[in-house]
Amino acid sequence: MTQSNPTENLQAPPKPVRNWQARGRLLGMPIAIVSIWAALFVAASAVPALPVPGMTGMITMNTIMTAISGAVLGPAAGVANMVGAIISTILFPFGSFFGLWGALTVTMGGLISGLLFANKWKLAGLLEVALLVAWFVNPRAWQPWMWIVPLPYSLVTLLVIFVSPLRRWMRKQILTGSKAGLWAGVALIATVGHSAEFMTSNVMTNYMYNLTWQYWVPTWPYWVGVDTVTIVMATVVGVGILSGLRKARLIQAADIVPAA
Amino acid sequence: MDNQPVIEVNNLHHTYPNGVQALHGIDLRISSGEYIAVVGQNGSGKTTLAKHLNGLLKPSLGQIKINGIDISPMRISELSRIVGYVFQNPDDMLFCNSVEEEISFGLKLMGFEQSEKQERVEKSLKRMGLEQLRDQHPFTLSLGDRQRVAVACILAITPRIFVFDEPTTGQDYFGGQSIMETIEMLHADGCTILIITHDMRLVAEQAQRVIVMNGGRIAIDAPPGEAFKQLDLLEKLSLRAPQITRLSQLLGWQGEALLDVPGFCDWVEQSWRTQDEAKRW
Amino acid sequence: MVGASYIPKKSFLHHLDARVKLAILFVILTLALTFSHPVYILVLLAVVILAWASAGLPFDFLKTLVKYFTGIAVLIFAIQVLFYPGETPLLKISAPIATIGFSGTISQEGVLFGAAMVLRLVVIMAAAPLLIMTTPLSELILALVKIRIPYRFAFILTTAMSLLPSLQNRAFLIQQAQLCRGVGDFENRNLLVKLKASASLLVPLILGSFRDSQVLDVAISSRAFGAPTPRTYLLETHLRTIDVALLIFSALALIAGITLRMLNLGIIR
Repeated sequence: MTQSNPTENLQAPPKPVRNWQARGRLLGMPIAIVSIWAALFVAASAVPALPVPGMTGMITMNTIMTAISGAVLGPAAGVANMVGAIISTILFPFGSFFGLWGALTVTMGGLISGLLFANKWKLAGLLEVALLVAWFVNPRAWQPWMWIVPLPYSLVTLLVIFVSPLRRWMRKQILTGSKAGLWAGVALIATVGHSAEFMTSNVMTNYMYNLTWQYWVPTWPYWVGVDTVTIVMATVVGVGILSGLRKARLIQAADIVPAA
Repeated sequence: MDNQPVIEVNNLHHTYPNGVQALHGIDLRISSGEYIAVVGQNGSGKTTLAKHLNGLLKPSLGQIKINGIDISPMRISELSRIVGYVFQNPDDMLFCNSVEEEISFGLKLMGFEQSEKQERVEKSLKRMGLEQLRDQHPFTLSLGDRQRVAVACILAITPRIFVFDEPTTGQDYFGGQSIMETIEMLHADGCTILIITHDMRLVAEQAQRVIVMNGGRIAIDAPPGEAFKQLDLLEKLSLRAPQITRLSQLLGWQGEALLDVPGFCDWVEQSWRTQDEAKRW
Repeated sequence: MVGASYIPKKSFLHHLDARVKLAILFVILTLALTFSHPVYILVLLAVVILAWASAGLPFDFLKTLVKYFTGIAVLIFAIQVLFYPGETPLLKISAPIATIGFSGTISQEGVLFGAAMVLRLVVIMAAAPLLIMTTPLSELILALVKIRIPYRFAFILTTAMSLLPSLQNRAFLIQQAQLCRGVGDFENRNLLVKLKASASLLVPLILGSFRDSQVLDVAISSRAFGAPTPRTYLLETHLRTIDVALLIFSALALIAGITLRMLNLGIIR
């Protein structure tokens, strides 16, 4: 029998506080930044971005912010966007017809793109797949031609998440790329962020209001156009912000992601 | 110099959408090349007045003429070519990836030809002493440099009238000096300068004319020497003359206000010489 | 746009504990999604409107709400009326058009279902203001904390709200400064112009705000944010008997509603 360990009765040393759980931080990002983003989100909800008369009224600047939130804040973007959306629904209740549930769309957008950027791609993939499952479980998703609705951007999202070389390339470009590479990387993550947002919105619309293929299919080309323009705008803004954050050495998600 | 004023404001009234009337009938004539300071308490209408000059605000009543032309049908982008408005915080404007890009951004939008654009960018960089920094990202520059970049952006459009909104507020001494030198340089080039400020020393040392606003009306419109003489009125308007002026007035100076330390010292020296031995302290 | 902010009044609803109101809101929203028969949802709507009236909330707001969503409501109604696969024919419009799946007749079920969807929309939109307009924000935050939403979340919510005015101000200033440079109007229809305008607003806004965050960070840390000891609060709320009673009542209502649904009531066959 071994001698009893003299240190047995001592308490184990406290676990080191990892960055992700550090005081004053949420999922790695300082609380101050998360709060500021949420407030910016609300301010942006009042500024129209695209003049689209559609189901949800104006597309405002916060849609652009959602698309790039993942690259700027990492997974904390989910919380930041959610808080922002809740406040802006309270202050401007005419934004969408989901009421307070509308916050879910931008949460998913920020969460999935943020997780992807922080290299927790399996979790991001799980969420995205869950989203698509939710879409296809609804019997209306099997009506004629309905399969076209998640295309093309949800497919792009799946590719970016699950095709390792593409994913790694995208992250590398955003972290260290310049010029063309940076633009491409940001465009990809903006696609992920935006498609997660509007896919959630589609799922919710179908479950809450039971629209049929006679609405979804004819309006599909229109919405793809709108989404494309939004992604382009988000890319332009995203490149400006990310390169500005880099140059000014301000904190961003890139500081907390593990090495690629 | 031309007899016609470069800026003419006639009976200007302005009421904000929330119902607050900010200007109650302003009449103003500004000649080309003048250096004017607009002062007054917060809410007195200084910024409201200034924002009418480049079209950011439209009069509720009254008329504004610049170079003899009524500006009410003109758009902000047109007016910006004549009146350059420099905001207090340069970070509210800068967002491009390099200083050069920043300057050419505005020019591109105003529709200048490529060759002319390049020329203007070069001239502006040179005039503001920014040639060394042309490829730097604005966010890596110091506040003073960022301010100069902001001025350079406006300068590239070559307006002949400049409006500066609180250029020295929030700056340290050297930052303030730096921007003041820039403004002096523009004035020396013949531009008409309008500064909104709280900095009385700046007003005393630089401005040729000071307009004191109160409650949406012009209370005083005079050269600084005359304006700072009216102690009671200034007190009523909650304004204080620069320290050196007050000191001289406390010591018995009666005439046109003394505006700077050299002037004060001259007076003291003169008084000292003309004093009796007995009356010297 | 009119916002739904707190309107101080003395009403039954105002005096309820915020947690109870949250629970009631949750039940109303869930039931609105559970049922799809217009009569059942109408009952819910009646409850909401009664609550609205008893709290003394402005009906103008409701009217604006309805007006704003009329377009969407019409669309939803039309889709259901035309395309719902109902069995009881009501009105024959034309011969069936196979390509768009139009059966040619409008069915009774379709009309009912369409009405139900529209009513559902109204309930969802009108229910949340019930909570928001009768509860001051501090109480709301406290309620969220009490139901164990992580404190960080509530903190972010309050901080964001307090930062909002200065950020809106900054956004306005940026727009003005960019206008002076020749950046196009934000109302401009040209997409390229819009693109530049968006970038010229969002980039300086976000970067400038992030830059200022360092001060905020220090302020937050200096208030012992994240300290391991449990926090105490200045404001306290307690559940009264009536609160608990309503809580139980709403739970029962929820169970009853779900049971009815399970029994295939409240939907259209």
